[in-house]
Amino acid sequence: MQITIAQHDHVTVAGVAGSIDALTADTLVTALLNELQAGRTRLVMHFAAVEYTSSAGLRVLLTTLKDARQRGGDLRLAEIRPNVKQVLELSGFTSILKCYADLPAAIASCPK
Amino acid sequence: MNAPGVALVIGAGGVKCAASIGLQRCLNHEKIPIDLVVGCSGGAIYAAAIALGHDPASAAGMTAKLWTRDVTAATDRGALARMVFPKLLGFTERFGLKKDALVNARLKEGFGDATFADCKIPLFITATDFKTGEQVTISEGRIADAVRASIAVPFAFAPWEVNGRLCVDGFLSDPLPVGVAIREGAHVIIAMGFESPNQERITSGGRFAFQLSTIMTNNLLKASFAFHGLAHHSEVIAVIPQFSQRIRLFDTEKIPLLIDEGEAAMREQLPYLRRLLMSVPATHSA
Repeated sequence: MQITIAQHDHVTVAGVAGSIDALTADTLVTALLNELQAGRTRLVMHFAAVEYTSSAGLRVLLTTLKDARQRGGDLRLAEIRPNVKQVLELSGFTSILKCYADLPAAIASCPK
Repeated sequence: MNAPGVALVIGAGGVKCAASIGLQRCLNHEKIPIDLVVGCSGGAIYAAAIALGHDPASAAGMTAKLWTRDVTAATDRGALARMVFPKLLGFTERFGLKKDALVNARLKEGFGDATFADCKIPLFITATDFKTGEQVTISEGRIADAVRASIAVPFAFAPWEVNGRLCVDGFLSDPLPVGVAIREGAHVIIAMGFESPNQERITSGGRFAFQLSTIMTNNLLKASFAFHGLAHHSEVIAVIPQFSQRIRLFDTEKIPLLIDEGEAAMREQLPYLRRLLMSVPATHSA
């Protein structure tokens, strides 16, 4: 799994490539929580290159989401592949997370 | 005592559960042992076959003979009359609109008098307590009785008593009972589940009721899967086959297709499963 962090105005975009699972979850959650602790609380995860999300991956999303909202920010997802979206839908995450078809729309959706 | 390394959970889904034979075939081929099996409703049939040591070919043959359209063909006219005139004819909780003699005979033919003690892999079958709605986890007694309770489809088959509890179909409490595997201490849980298809057209009261059941079941599946995925200490690998054809409850002629597509769905998860098993602590290794 690779993580790239980029700043787009007031929004932090975390691009993830590969599999979010029990073997990669700790690395990812640490990277995301570092951003939140540094005050960058408007997070968009760019999911275009995420191939797989397991239950451990879902726990990363939940931890990050709760932390971001407690700090007054949010976590949003962009460009989710159909197989990953299926897992998110099955586990109810699409009802608590805002998901966007493209990255510019996700970035634009975040309030300043 | 070592915790189970790999648990297989097969959820409710009628004949679609035959996809679990493909999953089993894939794991057998890759020499990945299953340490514990949980089955619910249609999944109970396949879980029991796997736990008793049927290889994929014999499990496919046995279950294809067991679950055919004619098991629900005979309407119980007496039950129908008791539903219409409950006070006059005496309505009871052991209500089902279909005669269950054939399905009971098929279960006897398939599983004989085998008990849970005969299983080569620990087996757990889930049903639902008709009086309380609680999930009932069955792990002792005759397997045919446990399966019969687990497939007691509401309105079709009458509830079935197991170990002193009157049970209905396991899907009513949890269509994909991952919680049983978590409770038994499983580390990696492979969960094969199936969403119920929505009715294409509502042309009868039966289809109307079926659609309501589909809505509730699918929402329960999602809620339960979400909770268990977040609650488990390790990993739940969801294997949710997306079949290339619409599969109806008794499409047993499509079992070969279901097996192939179940195997393909499992094969997609194999690289990760292999890496995960290599990282499993020794006390959990299979």
